[in-house]
Amino acid sequence: MKTVLQEGALVAVIGAALALAANALSPHPLELTKDYFPGDKVASRSPAVATNATNAAAIITNSPLELLSARLRANGLQLADSNQVARCFRDPRREQDGVIFIDARDEEHYVAGHIPGAFHFDRFRPQDYLPNVVQVCQTAEQMVFYCNGGECDDSEHAAIMLRDSLGIPKEKVFIYGGGFTEWTNNGLPYELGARNSGDLTNMVKAAASAKAGGPK
Amino acid sequence: MKAAPSAGDKHSLDIAALLARWLLGGLFLYLGVGKVLHPAEFAKLVREELAIANPFLSSLIITTVPWLEVLYGLVLLSGIAKNAAAVVARWWLAGVFIVMGLHKALPHPQAFLSLVRQYHLVTSPILLNSIGAALPWFEVFCGLLLLAGVAVRGAALNSVVMLVPFTIVVLKEALRRAAVEGIPFCAVKFDCGCGAGKVFICHKLVENTVLLLLSAWLLTGRGWPLCLRFSLFQEKKAASDLTKPAEQAAS
Repeated sequence: MKTVLQEGALVAVIGAALALAANALSPHPLELTKDYFPGDKVASRSPAVATNATNAAAIITNSPLELLSARLRANGLQLADSNQVARCFRDPRREQDGVIFIDARDEEHYVAGHIPGAFHFDRFRPQDYLPNVVQVCQTAEQMVFYCNGGECDDSEHAAIMLRDSLGIPKEKVFIYGGGFTEWTNNGLPYELGARNSGDLTNMVKAAASAKAGGPK
Repeated sequence: MKAAPSAGDKHSLDIAALLARWLLGGLFLYLGVGKVLHPAEFAKLVREELAIANPFLSSLIITTVPWLEVLYGLVLLSGIAKNAAAVVARWWLAGVFIVMGLHKALPHPQAFLSLVRQYHLVTSPILLNSIGAALPWFEVFCGLLLLAGVAVRGAALNSVVMLVPFTIVVLKEALRRAAVEGIPFCAVKFDCGCGAGKVFICHKLVENTVLLLLSAWLLTGRGWPLCLRFSLFQEKKAASDLTKPAEQAAS
């Protein structure tokens, strides 16, 4: 028994060291000292945990939308519903990047489909994406962050990261709670591939694409 | 000096081992038959979650794995070829750890980090990042040890140490979701961070029980054939000890 415990401890120590080394050598390593979830400092992500004294709305109702709204407020963010987001999308200022959309999902999801004209910002790899968004974030009057919706909170953390690092006034920052899932479910167009690729699709095309294993 | 186990103790241990083997065999049968009866779900797991794009390889896995699980379950229930079954158990466990570990570590370790975070295990970013960064590769490491047959019991012990708390936090999260969403426990489906995407909780618990039983089985000294170095310490003594169960099994 003692031998097994010793062997287990040795495997654990060597394995942990090799695992951290493998992470450091991998193409997309996790940085151990980086705070990937800056929103956690202010409010909890979990609706169940969100029912605390700082979150009065959460105590009154268990509605996921109310909880999300309360959590965003605690982080100094504003929730945008599908109507507001659709208005932003139709806003003429969007043509001059006065109103911008920022997709906080990973590269794979972005390429598979994003809101037309949306900038891409993967907060887990800011060094790759910051140069594309810094200037436009500093000049935009409104910016709408989104990810997949539902339980996804990448948009919140990306918004906090950019807002705090670039000094963007919080009044300009909105979070689209329904996310890209709600956007496509509403039959709104989306763009495939790179930003402004012009490869737009609507729900008719999207339905055909989904059958063929296209964007989710 | 340690006293030798009495005949009564040995009899109890034999019965416990027999029941554990039957349980494991039954669970393998359940998993295999489940995949045979619902091939679309298993195909989706292989092609989309595990991202096995090669059509030949994915078709091979989809058509053979369910029947291999059924066959393995029958072998365990019948009690034939125990040593061969233990080696298969070691390789099967190794395969699961390697595939699932790599799936978590590559190409988006941050997705796994987000999933670990949902359990609220730690509040410190450094600790959370360390778990997210090291755990997938540690699984791969344990899998490689089991595959090669190096420090098998040490690797199996680490497997148990990983699986028990993981299963408990998954269970707690599933109970919370069932309460919040007001749905039956077995209807809860979420991505638990196990590397296979969204899964029904009851199915996940069965899988974890299988992995735990397999690990515990290897921990008792089974699976020693075809090992490069079964035990790191006291190899001669360990090897001589291990010939006894092998002889018993052969008889």
